[in-house]
Order: sequence, then C-alpha cells, then structure tokens
Amino acid sequence: MTSATKPTQAARYGMTIDVDRCNGCGACMVACAVENNVPPAPQANDRQGLTWIRVYRVDNGGRLAYVPVMCQHCGADAPCVSVCPQHAVDIDPATGIVGEMPQRCLGCRYCMAACPYHARYFNWWDPAWPPGMEKTLNPGVTPRMRGVVEKCNFCHGRWHAAKQQAAANGQPDGPVSYTPACAEACPTGAIRFGDLNDAAGPVAQASKDSASFRLLENLGTEPKVYYRSKRDWVRQIAGAPTPGPGKENSCD
Amino acid sequence: MKLSRRDLFIYAGGSAAGALLTPAPWRLITDTALWSENWPGIPAPPRGEIRTRFTNCSLCRAGCAVRARCVGDQPVQLAGVAAHPLSRGALCPFGLTGHHLPFHPARLKQGSAEQALGAVSAAISDAGSGRIAVLDLRPGRTVSWTYRRAMAKLNGLYIAPGQSVAYDLHQAKTVLSLGVPLLDGWGTPGNVWAARPGFRLIQAEPIQSRTAALADVWLPVQPGTEDTLALAIANAIENRNGDDERAVSVANELTQNGPALVLDNYGSAAVMALNQSLGAAGHTMVAMPEAPVPDTWRKAAPATSLAQMEDRSIGVLLIDESAVDGYLPWHTIEPKLVRDNPVVVTFASGRGGYARHAQFALPAGVYPEFAEDIPTAVDSPAATFRISTPLVAPPAGMVNPAGFIGALAGLPKSDAVRERADAIHRAGRGTLFTPADAKTVAVRDITAEAFWKSLSEAGCWIDEAGNTQAPEAQPPESEPWPSGSGGLVAILSAQHTPPLMSPLMSKVYQESNLRLAPNWIALHPSDARAARLENGAEAFLQTRLGKCGVRVAVDPAVPAGMVQVGTAPGILDVCGPAARAKVVAV
Repeated sequence: MTSATKPTQAARYGMTIDVDRCNGCGACMVACAVENNVPPAPQANDRQGLTWIRVYRVDNGGRLAYVPVMCQHCGADAPCVSVCPQHAVDIDPATGIVGEMPQRCLGCRYCMAACPYHARYFNWWDPAWPPGMEKTLNPGVTPRMRGVVEKCNFCHGRWHAAKQQAAANGQPDGPVSYTPACAEACPTGAIRFGDLNDAAGPVAQASKDSASFRLLENLGTEPKVYYRSKRDWVRQIAGAPTPGPGKENSCD
Repeated sequence: MKLSRRDLFIYAGGSAAGALLTPAPWRLITDTALWSENWPGIPAPPRGEIRTRFTNCSLCRAGCAVRARCVGDQPVQLAGVAAHPLSRGALCPFGLTGHHLPFHPARLKQGSAEQALGAVSAAISDAGSGRIAVLDLRPGRTVSWTYRRAMAKLNGLYIAPGQSVAYDLHQAKTVLSLGVPLLDGWGTPGNVWAARPGFRLIQAEPIQSRTAALADVWLPVQPGTEDTLALAIANAIENRNGDDERAVSVANELTQNGPALVLDNYGSAAVMALNQSLGAAGHTMVAMPEAPVPDTWRKAAPATSLAQMEDRSIGVLLIDESAVDGYLPWHTIEPKLVRDNPVVVTFASGRGGYARHAQFALPAGVYPEFAEDIPTAVDSPAATFRISTPLVAPPAGMVNPAGFIGALAGLPKSDAVRERADAIHRAGRGTLFTPADAKTVAVRDITAEAFWKSLSEAGCWIDEAGNTQAPEAQPPESEPWPSGSGGLVAILSAQHTPPLMSPLMSKVYQESNLRLAPNWIALHPSDARAARLENGAEAFLQTRLGKCGVRVAVDPAVPAGMVQVGTAPGILDVCGPAARAKVVAV
C-alpha cells in the first residue's frame, strides 16, 4: 500500500447556523462569491441568480427570520449524486463534502430537480466580470464555464490549502482545520464550521443542542448543516410535507 | 417554373453565403467551443506571490480593520481582523467587496480640475456672487480640518451635517431604538454584536426591519410618529403614568432596567431630552470625541448646518462626496445657492449623487486607492484615529479634494495626516493596536516614528476611556419633510449605502431578493394591485417635490398604505421619511 492510498482518519465537515443571530446582511453571500469566483450576473433575477449560499427571509405572519441555505452536504444518499448521469457529483469519503466537477457536468440539471433544498444553481451566462475586475479573482479557484451546475463545496479550495499546509508541517494525514468564506465573513458569528466527528469540538457540540434542527429532516438525506433557533415557529418551518411511500431519490 | 440543377446550386450557395451574414453560424461556433472546454471567455485568475496586507475600510465611519489577501500588489480578498479591539473581525458586505470598487463600470473617470479652478477663482473674485462654502459629508477627518482652515482664509462657510453624539452600547442594559438600523450597519458591526448580549433591544419602527426582526420587542409605529412616542415616554417617566399604555410599558422598562439609552436617526430634541431624563447624557451618550489636532489648525472656520444658513447666500459650493455618511437632499441645498449662476463643484466617485446638479464633477479616488483617516465611529465613546492605507494605485486624472481646496486658499502643501499623527503622539494618551502582530501598546511607550509607521500599516489609536462630556443639543439639519396628505406614506430603508457598490452586490440586491436595491421601492400587494404594478415593474415615485424612476418590489412585509423606498440619491431628492408619495406605472 502506497502512502497515497493509505487509509486516513476521515473527517465529516459540517456547519451550524444560529438563525437567531442572522440579521440577513448578506455578507456570507458576497464573501462566497468573492472566494469562489462566482461572477455577477447583471441580467439575472432572483430565479436565475448564481448564489451558492442564499439567505431566505421567512415569517410566521408576524415575525421575520433569516435563514441562510447552501448545499446541505447530505449523507450517503445525497439525491444529487444518485441522479447525475455523468458522475459529476460525488461525496468525498475523506471529508464528507459533496463535490461538483464542472468538467464532467453536461448541464442536464437533473441534480437541480433532485435537490430538495434548491441549493444548486445553473450557470446561464458566460462568467464575466467588469473590465479589469478579473484581476481580483481568487487564484485558488477556477471559474466555471457557462452551461454547468454550481453549488457550495464548503470552500474546497481552502480545504486544499489547509491540507497542503498540514502536509508541509509534517502532518499529511487526518482532518485539518479550516474556515469557509461564509463562516469567516459572518459579522454576527451565526455561522460556524468544523468537524462533526470531533465530538468535543464546538460544531459537533452545537449540533446536539436541543434547539438544533436540520432542514427537511424527514426526507432522510442526513444533511451536515445544522440550524439552531429557540423560536418554535422557525424550527417548524424547517420541516417538510410528509413524503410519499418509499424513499425519494433512492438509487435502489 | 422549371427548377434546374443549376438553379438549385445557385439557391444553396446563396443561402450559405447569406447565412454567414446572420449571427447564427458564429453563435454555433461559440456554443461548440463551450463543449470543447477550451472556452476562451473564462477569465484566468491572476498568478503571483500571495501576500497579506492590512488597511482600514473607509466606506463608512465604522472604519473596520481589513486583512487583504493580495496576489502581488492586487488585493483579491478582504476579511476582518479578529483581534481588533473595535471591529473584532467583522466586515459588512460592502466592506468585503471594497477591492472591486476601482473597477466599477460607473466610476467617474474624467473631469477638468483646471476649468473648475478657473470658474471658482472667478466667482470668488466677483464680490457680488455670494460666499464660498464647503459641504463635507464626513466631518471629523483630517481633510475636514483642511477645509475648515481653507474656509477661514477665504471667509467661507464649512457645512458639516455631522454626527455630534457617540454612544456606549456596552454600558447600556436597555436600548430603545426609534428606527435606527442598530444591527444592520448603524455602527461598527463587530462592536455592536459584541455588546448585543448585554442589552435588551426595543425597536420602534413602521416596518419589521433586520434590526426589528432580531429585537427583543418590536413596536410597529406610524412613520413620522417617532418623536411623538419619545414625548409620550418622557411624559410617562415624568408623571409615572400616562394615557398611552405602550409608552408607559416602554418607560417602565427603560427606568427599571437601566442604564438605558434611546437612539434615533435625526438627533431630535425630544430624544435628546428623553436621554437626559434617563441619565444617559454623559454616561451612555457622550459628545462625539475627536482625535487631537495640531494647535496651528485651531484657526479654522466653525462647522455650521444648512438650516443655520441664509437662503441665496452661497455663490460657490464645493461638495466633497468622496466619502459619504449621509445624503442631504438637493432641495435642502438648492435654496441656499444664489439665484444667478452659482458655481457647484463636486468631488465624486460616481455620477449618481450631486454630480447631477453640479457644473463640475471632478473624479475622486475610491477606497482602497487613497490614504485618508477615518473619524471616530458613532458607537465609540473614546476617540480613535485610523488611516485607510491604500492597497492599489489610483488611475491617472483623479483629483484630491483637499489639495484642490487647499490650493484655492493658498494653504501650504503638507502631509496633514502625518502632522495630526504627531499631535496625537505628543498628547501621549491612549493605546495603539497594530493588526500585523495583533499587539496593543501604550502610546507613551513608543516613538513618534514607530507610532506613524504602525498607523501607516493600518494601526488603530484609541484614546483613554472616561469621556463623560454630555453632548449639546444640535439644531435640526434641515426643515421637516413636507408631508401633505393623500397617497402612500414613505418609509426610508434605514441602511446607508455607499455611492459605489461592488458589482457582486447584485447577489443580495438582484440575484436574490434579500435586500431592497437603492433604486427600488417596495409596496404591499394590495397597493401594487391598486397601482396595477407587478413585481419588477418600472414606475415613477411622485411626491410634491418631483418624481423619480424606480423599480417596484411587491412585498407583503410592507404595511398597506406605505411605500418603502431605497436610498438612491434620486429617490432621496424627492422623497423623505413620512413623505406622502404616489406610485404610478410607467
């Protein structure tokens, strides 16, 4: 067995989002776009926009709350993985991150139809920035071409950089600690990121909070993004209509 | 007609040649290239040495510390500095994308400073043409002192619609906010959120804003009745009772869970008096502190407000809108100008603001192109001094407003920011935080040279605590908004937006419906139906002062009978808080 194939201790990266602290400022949305070279789309409206993370305003008829939604990085039965005819979507066993390979994507958008979280976005236009602004692109992430589906990958570029740094420090194996752009940018500290397998870590602890919940949990997708709110109506809004017989998006 | 083989070839050849003149084959080529994955239209990110540099964001007076990840000299990513004692690692969406502003397509790039200088000089020498004045939209900076010194020399006026009060949220246990966007861009985001667990927030506002959504209590009020509520609360405190149950309840909270603080957007006398009765003055509400200045600068024109000035008295108006903390509607400025040929010069980064009304619009640098200090933030009771260190070079042709106005008055050229830094060091008070090493040292322990070096690398000087100077009541900046009757009642989007925003802000304004764009208005569905408007429709917003083209968002969160308006200068010129407005389809 070579060092490249040697099994390593796997991480299960996840996120906790405190809805009671989110003021809907949108810092996570623009920080994500800067980090991942997501182009502005002046032609787009709110249905066609390219936003790997989108903050939704929800209400109960009286009070408002803001809920950031990105790819929920489902567990082993991620709906988008099973429907992709190109094998352009996979789950990295070393990190648990659901990855998207734009080079393989043919733009059929089956994955968008399958995703219950509406967290996937189709690249309708050529990636274009105002003249000169391409100098501000992040060199760690390649812009994607028109005609492919894009989504949050928990800032995979940052994970690679952290992994390289760990290797340079003599620790090539095992999980690394890093922070995605949205969590780093959140001015209220509502978004936190870490390894859910690290039981003593703050994110794993927060995910077990009694006020913690996941979106559409009854679909059985096992998302790795946990939300938290002390408001009952916010927790209830995260539920889904009762699914029909059988399991949706099953590859069986 | 008989079709020969030759005719068929001619027809086919003609069709093929004609098709080349249509876009179809060229479109086919580009679409095919997409699938070949050799698409030349994908921009290549820059390559080069990765460095980290620091600056302070000058997009608003919060002045948050910024860590810039650069490729070579070009910043490609901005983030906060977690160890910073004031900004605590937070940046707002505008600050996160500040490095895009030099490339903004709507940026003002041309303007003749020589022509403007000639026109201003001629107007000054003409004794009958009125006085010269500078309108400074972010007072308290070092350039503000340059303007004041220049106006003192030219016998001119210095107009500053500034912030005269600072607040200490960390000392407060109950905060009543009358429409202030406390949790959405009012102060320094990191500092406000650090203080938030310590106080109970009561938000009185017509609409459930982002601040109201996270407040402990949201009190819906009619637009324009905030002062009435403040008076009712003051009455309830004084008389221990009152007719207004809601005011009595708030008064009880404020008095029983002190120290308390009341915030509003306009510095009204009623709110100032309420704060005094609550004991906030000199405690949680203090006079806006300012960093020391050299003694030689003290011979300067005093700050005045538009409301204090005589009508038709200004012949030359110089407007510095390169840094803007708030926009004064043009209808409050125009009556102060002489009737015959006033000269208006604006130093601006874009054409959206006063450039529409000025004879000369001169291009000014944008953040992060120029070095400028940032005045003390509204949520800092101690004076601060920070410099927005340039990260990129400005393009050719930019005009320095302070250089222009200083030259007009014949002020000697000097590095005013350095002189002020030396004055602060001579005062020997306070501490200095340096972001590169996250260390804080006492000013008296370092040399003037080391102090300046640290400030030039985005250091932050913070004065000693203990500011207990109570603020003085200020006259209103302008007349109350003409309200009239009929139509919809206007609510302003309280959040301040800078004159230029990164194109990536389309993610929050357009590619999602998270925020109301500056040139949009929002209507309740019933009002939209009555006006026969759909979501995204173009319309005119009409008030007594004129009309302005807008786009319409239909939003059930806006109460019926009200219209929420964005903060674009075109809208603010015709519509203010509680104004009566009509929305008409184009």
